[in-house]
Amino acid sequence: MEQQVEHIEVEEQVDTSFEFMDMVTILKSTGRKAANLRQLRDNLAEVSEECIFHHTYQYFSKGHIQEYTNDFAHWAGEGLEERALAEHLSNIDPYSFNSVEELREELLHVLDYYIENFPETRAVLPGNEFFFNEAITFVFPVGLRARNLAEFLIALKYVDASSIYYHFYEARIRLGRGIDDFSKWLDEVIGAKEVADKIRAIDPFMHNMEGIREHIIEIIDGALRKEMEVSLE
Amino acid sequence: MISQYAGISPKRDLLLLNTLGKAFKGKTFLHVNSTRAGGGVAEILHRMIPLLNSLGIDARWEVIEGDQKFFDITKKIHNALQGNMENITEEMWEYYYEVNKRNAKNINLEADGVLIHDPQPAPLINFKKNGKWIWRCHIDLSKPSPEVSNHLEPFCKKYDAIIFSVPKFARAMATDEFIVPPSIDPLSEKNMELTEEEIKGVAEKFQIPLDRPILLQVSRFDRFKDPIGVIQTYRKVKKYNDCVLVLAGSPATDDPEGEAVLEEVREYAANDPDIHILLLPPFSDKDINALQRMATVVFQKSLKEGFGLTVSEAMWKGKPVIGGAVGGIPLQIVHGITGFLIHSVDGAAFRTRQFLNNPLMAKRMGETGREYVRRNFLITRQMRDYLSLWYAVENKDKGIVFEL
Repeated sequence: MEQQVEHIEVEEQVDTSFEFMDMVTILKSTGRKAANLRQLRDNLAEVSEECIFHHTYQYFSKGHIQEYTNDFAHWAGEGLEERALAEHLSNIDPYSFNSVEELREELLHVLDYYIENFPETRAVLPGNEFFFNEAITFVFPVGLRARNLAEFLIALKYVDASSIYYHFYEARIRLGRGIDDFSKWLDEVIGAKEVADKIRAIDPFMHNMEGIREHIIEIIDGALRKEMEVSLE
Repeated sequence: MISQYAGISPKRDLLLLNTLGKAFKGKTFLHVNSTRAGGGVAEILHRMIPLLNSLGIDARWEVIEGDQKFFDITKKIHNALQGNMENITEEMWEYYYEVNKRNAKNINLEADGVLIHDPQPAPLINFKKNGKWIWRCHIDLSKPSPEVSNHLEPFCKKYDAIIFSVPKFARAMATDEFIVPPSIDPLSEKNMELTEEEIKGVAEKFQIPLDRPILLQVSRFDRFKDPIGVIQTYRKVKKYNDCVLVLAGSPATDDPEGEAVLEEVREYAANDPDIHILLLPPFSDKDINALQRMATVVFQKSLKEGFGLTVSEAMWKGKPVIGGAVGGIPLQIVHGITGFLIHSVDGAAFRTRQFLNNPLMAKRMGETGREYVRRNFLITRQMRDYLSLWYAVENKDKGIVFEL
């Protein structure tokens, strides 16, 4: 007798929840340092991509209030007291480049122009040099998942600021096109396009991590209120 | 045990510690230094070793033994690395190596990870049996004596990695160099919460009035800590704001200049009843804690400094701090945000007056400072860094981003 085999198709459940991750970096020294603008320029031309990445993209992970947008600008302003140069360097958006090499070229271009026009820049005192570092990054799950807007909002309030850095800043390099993890999930999984667009409209350079957190909370809080009001109608 | 830090340390540090604890479960992690008591290294190891064990790591701590001659030599090496002129003969270097060789026979050096603290036991690397070896240099290496550096370099080269406290101490070397700042333990006697009664009790013990602002510096009586400069600062401030100055330090038995500096300070204070010079015995952690908590403004007006953890101690207690812009102090004080960095007595006086006349600003900076320390200078962060670094060294061929 022919045995009948019953094929039961089990639909595989895909977990579409948002998993909050966190990250920690440890500093690795390159042993290189610069005491003046010329040395900064020459080292910048030679250091590894990881070093440039650390001093630009990872600047915001340092988490305190800064008036600059990368370490080079910070040192130009506070160390060398070359405020105009600090402004030029601060205005460079690292996410607008396709590679770290392109970013390096732009940094060198700004420095070369400044050195050519203002060759008399001073040197800093010993101990205040620019120290070129790299970072080793550890990424790990926080143990929090969100399945909807409300869960997302609660988790966002309690994760460490470094988790926000990972999803809002670091994601832009992983995903490209200036997209962050939060807006991607809200748009593609939750279907909250309006919320996602508002998050994408936040200028990443104008806030520290807590500022970013506050803005996103405000946006989602507003969306949830609106959702509840609509459901009551 | 690590759960004691929940609600105090950043969550991410505790999460990563647990994750790395699982990765290193059952692995042996050996720390070696040269003293069981006294100094910041011993202080932190006393707390760190049980915490590492509580994560499932088989951590142990060994101390090398040496006679007076050995420690006289290593003191010279220490001073020369910090920039002093020292005469270290070939015979001394040989003795330094011989004592380490003898220790290598007595200490079980077998471990999966080995962390050697400071120059005294650095030559133990020559007796490595297995595992990854890391040298942790806690001292100021910004201007080391080239001769002493050259003698130590062959040992340094053999390590898998080297750790410095601040970037400026690192130098171009073939060995991988990492930056791990030191830390304070929020649950130790020196930093734990105290009741108002306990604080008042210490004030009464030292006859310190609590009815006026208290300016405080806790440090050894050492010229590099500029105690005279602190008194000059107090005098400039006193013209505008009535206040009390407390200079608290332990007797520096290993510092021949300590007595002389203390005498200079006493003489300079000229029996001013509002200057309290306290010579505290060793293990006065709770008294120091109370002094820091009763202070209105805390100084670390150093002219030269290794890291200056007293700054983090004061910041942890929410105090506005004023520090000399030297050594590791600028790493702790973000100027104008977590405190003020100064370069002169006038600067210190001006900033003190700002704090005394603007308590809201002082409070805000104190609160920001406490949070800054919570994120960056607690023991859990230092443990996290040690384990991360060990993991990175073990997995060096797997890149610079680790997904755990």
